[in-house]
Amino acid sequence: MGLAAKSEPQIAGGFVNESFTQGHLLRDRAAFAAANRVEKIPIVIVGGGIAGLSAAWRLHKSGFRDFVLLEMCDQAGGNSRWGENEITRYPWAAHYVPVPGRKAIYVRELFEDLGVLKDGKWDERYLCFTPQERLFLYGRWQEGIEPAIGLTRSDRDEFRRLEEQIGAFRATSRFTVPMEVGFSQESANLDRISFADWLSEHRMNSRVLRWYLNYCCRDDYGATLDQTSAWAGIQYFASREPEEKGPLTWPEGNGWIVQRLMERIGSFVRTGRMVHRIVQSGSGLKVYAGDAEYHADFVIYAAPTFLAPYLVEGMMPLKTFEYSPWLTANLTLDRLPKNYGSDPTWDSVFMDSPTLGYVDATHQTLRTHVDRTVWTFYWALAEGPASQNRRMLLSGNWGYWKDAILHDLERVHPDIRQCVSRMDLMRMGHAMARPSVGAVTSPERRSLAKLHGNLLFANSDLSGFSIFEEAQYRGVVAAEHALARVSGSKRG
Amino acid sequence: MGILLFITVLLIAACGLIYELVAGTLASYLLGDSVLQFSTIIGCYLFAMGIGSALSRYIDRGLAYRFVWIELLLGVVGGFSSALLFLAFAYSQGFQFLMYALVIVIGVLVGLEIPLLMRIIRDRYHFRDVVAHVLTFDYLGALGASLLFPILLVPHLGLVRSAMLFGILNAGVALWSTWIFANQLARTAVLRGFCLVVLAALCTGLVEAKRITQAAEDNIYADEIIFARDTHYQHIVLTRFKDDIRLFLNSHLQFSSRDEYRYHEALIHPGLSAIAAPRRVLVLGGGDGLAVREILKYPQVESVTLVDLDPEMTRLFTTNPMLTGLNHQSFLSPKVHVINADAFPWVESNTDSFDFIVIDFPDPTNYSLGKLYTTAFYKAVARHLSEQGLMVVQSTSPMFARDSYWCIAETIKQAGMLINPYHVYVPSFGEWGFVLAGHHEYRTPTSLPPGLRFVNVKDMPALFQFPPDMAPMSMPPNRLNDQVLVHLYDQDWKDISH
Ligand SMILES: Cc1cc2nc3c(=O)[nH]c(=O)nc-3n(C[C@H](O)[C@H](O)[C@H](O)COP(=O)(O)OP(=O)(O)OC[C@H]3O[C@@H](n4cnc5c(N)ncnc54)[C@H](O)[C@@H]3O)c2cc1C
Repeated sequence: MGLAAKSEPQIAGGFVNESFTQGHLLRDRAAFAAANRVEKIPIVIVGGGIAGLSAAWRLHKSGFRDFVLLEMCDQAGGNSRWGENEITRYPWAAHYVPVPGRKAIYVRELFEDLGVLKDGKWDERYLCFTPQERLFLYGRWQEGIEPAIGLTRSDRDEFRRLEEQIGAFRATSRFTVPMEVGFSQESANLDRISFADWLSEHRMNSRVLRWYLNYCCRDDYGATLDQTSAWAGIQYFASREPEEKGPLTWPEGNGWIVQRLMERIGSFVRTGRMVHRIVQSGSGLKVYAGDAEYHADFVIYAAPTFLAPYLVEGMMPLKTFEYSPWLTANLTLDRLPKNYGSDPTWDSVFMDSPTLGYVDATHQTLRTHVDRTVWTFYWALAEGPASQNRRMLLSGNWGYWKDAILHDLERVHPDIRQCVSRMDLMRMGHAMARPSVGAVTSPERRSLAKLHGNLLFANSDLSGFSIFEEAQYRGVVAAEHALARVSGSKRG
Repeated sequence: MGILLFITVLLIAACGLIYELVAGTLASYLLGDSVLQFSTIIGCYLFAMGIGSALSRYIDRGLAYRFVWIELLLGVVGGFSSALLFLAFAYSQGFQFLMYALVIVIGVLVGLEIPLLMRIIRDRYHFRDVVAHVLTFDYLGALGASLLFPILLVPHLGLVRSAMLFGILNAGVALWSTWIFANQLARTAVLRGFCLVVLAALCTGLVEAKRITQAAEDNIYADEIIFARDTHYQHIVLTRFKDDIRLFLNSHLQFSSRDEYRYHEALIHPGLSAIAAPRRVLVLGGGDGLAVREILKYPQVESVTLVDLDPEMTRLFTTNPMLTGLNHQSFLSPKVHVINADAFPWVESNTDSFDFIVIDFPDPTNYSLGKLYTTAFYKAVARHLSEQGLMVVQSTSPMFARDSYWCIAETIKQAGMLINPYHVYVPSFGEWGFVLAGHHEYRTPTSLPPGLRFVNVKDMPALFQFPPDMAPMSMPPNRLNDQVLVHLYDQDWKDISH
């Protein structure tokens, strides 16, 4: 008939921050323009994600100034990038850091430097405000993400038994953040089976329990229970003992940390410089990016490790590095959907959805009154083979993904289409390392993670999974390693 | 036939008087000063009636037809007068102009009624009977109306619906006149059609009257709503019963004009009088200007900064005569600076220092408001306190919400201040609590500004004593990442309201 039943507000938007096109240039070994100038500089950091920025922070904090950081994108931050509109700042990917435990000494040092941790106390304004999380299940909201309503006696029993098991693992001190501190070959056998199989072995088959654990794996690793090794599944729970109700979060997520780091070391960061070649030359390394050729004593390689074989001359292809594809979206809401009796939270998750729900960027506001906001929607394309999901991710157009996201939200917020005025999408084919069976303990990964020679690998993916603390730890230790060896005269 | 005619007279007299009473009552509710309002309205009204009577001589033909139309017009104008006035009060600056315009229009129409009616029926009776009967029933109608109005109509129907009800009577008179005067009318069917339309409109108005005052929750308020408005931030309702004006924000009572002096004197004087030379004062919340009224009793105070979220709220308490009568026009004082902003971000970004800080927010009924009761907030506020400065926090009831009260006290303490909790009895609220806080030991003041009705030097130390049923409880502090207060508050009030 040509008559729309209800006029639906137009939603604007598109794909943003596409970086895979540049990545594909490397993969396809495209020809890059020759360098026309040489810069001699003792330390070059490749990649301006948390790992690279943390390496720079450490060098700078030690008084070392002879380094540059080369970042492919126009904005530093990598997976902790952020955006901003007239309403608020918002994250593009990483949005929180669990309250660090005692063993995460470098993270604590960083947060002391940033004023987040003062005299052993965490600044309240950076801890996630109440109410933190909610889960939509059986047609209603509950507080918290671990399902608490509709549990049978045997569900409860399995939750309790898992809790006991985790408690025992925690007591071994082998599961730590960062993982290198406690990692021991004694727990290596857990990396040989999937988390799903481990649960079956322990007769934990409760549908609700498995939904919850599967959600946790998808959220942290972008992988399902079967795609995650038992070691990684247990690490998720056994490595943390929060000393404070958290997590740490900011409107722009971990982008807040990126900004604070950039305030300190921004003048050493060169954005829009994709490194396309790294070659050993004498006792040093040559790094090629844009119009320049950098001659360095040490290179801290903090870009994703899977790209390294395409850049580093003579490096063997990698076999055990797997990555999960992700889609994130930032939705501008011109009005808030009706809440149906639940206070809006920072994180909202829907049971039995393939997505991970959304995080509200204005939750951390000190204002009492908010009438427009931005939601960051998370979707790890986990189910099925990663390569297939990557293809699907790239082949769907913006309208397809926009509708897919709205359909998912509509189950929970029937009036969502009336609220959203803009939706920007970010596709990440190789978003984060996946701790599949055997990945964490693979000799290939363990050997790259060991710092030796003058090419120091530092990306978080060397831990087998990607979280803030791992990235920060690897950046810092790579910087320390280089600092200790770089000729003393250049210090200060 | 005769009796029907005279009942008509009785009814139209009653209608006329009711419209006048409605206007007078509304004006004294909304503008205050009832003597002034009533005398000017009665004066205008009688004068307009005179004009109406004078005009009646220019009508020579179609008397019955014109009479029916006058009744219909009265039904519409009078019936909707009260609703229109409420809307004008809430949404425009032209309330008084509209009110006098309506009074004059109604007066002129009412002035026309009786002369026309007498001329219509003069052929049926002796002239002296006509005069005697018509005037008798006219005065009887007035008596009935003046008794019904205060006893039945205002308490049970309210002003909006009373006017509508009498509008219906006016329109009813018009309808039945088409039968009584059928022989003097042509095309009665059309006239009756108009009558039915007007009746239908008024009946709808009567049923939907609640929407006009925008207070669908009418029944939760004990007294009549005289103002209701959804601003961008909240639902503001004013009710009035006799002299008692009450303000509700999102259905929570903020004050009753009968006893608010107890609340506001207790909020301000124990703290402000204890400061040696207070010059700069900050009020967070308190958009009704009542706390500021108390602060202005100190001539040494040079400036008062008030930060309130809602510009409509502060505008209302700056411009409305009834409300400025309550706050003594405190917002018009040149010492007072009103800032419309969200308090927490304002406190974070502002760097001024103050000798006395008053924190008077709505109770922590949800997590948004709960942020204004956290250690983070009090720490941020404390940075604005001058060396000898004090701050006072409205802290809900230590009696009905004992856990919440002591949780707030603990929160302020954990923000690094010395606390002095105290309480006061406010009849419309019950036992109410405050917390004074600062960086030094506090001693109750030995002198106070003159003219206080409640707070006095002798009894003040007693306010700081808590009997066993309100005695301190050990509570965790309320923090941004762990807002225990909202749960406690919810539980406290649930416990007493089952
Ligand atoms: C959707 C999503 C959500 C996440 N949420 C969280 C979270 O909430 N909390 C958490 O702790 N972790 C989260 N993570 C994990 C996140 O990956 C880490 O927290 C951390 O940001 C990883 O930092 P990194 O420096 O190791 O890697 P990356 O962030 O991947 O940084 C690599 C950098 O190298 C650059 N680069 C690549 N190739 C080149 C080249 N050839 N030349 C120059 N530069 C190059 C990239 O542009 C990028 O800036 C999330 C990840 C994703 C994908």
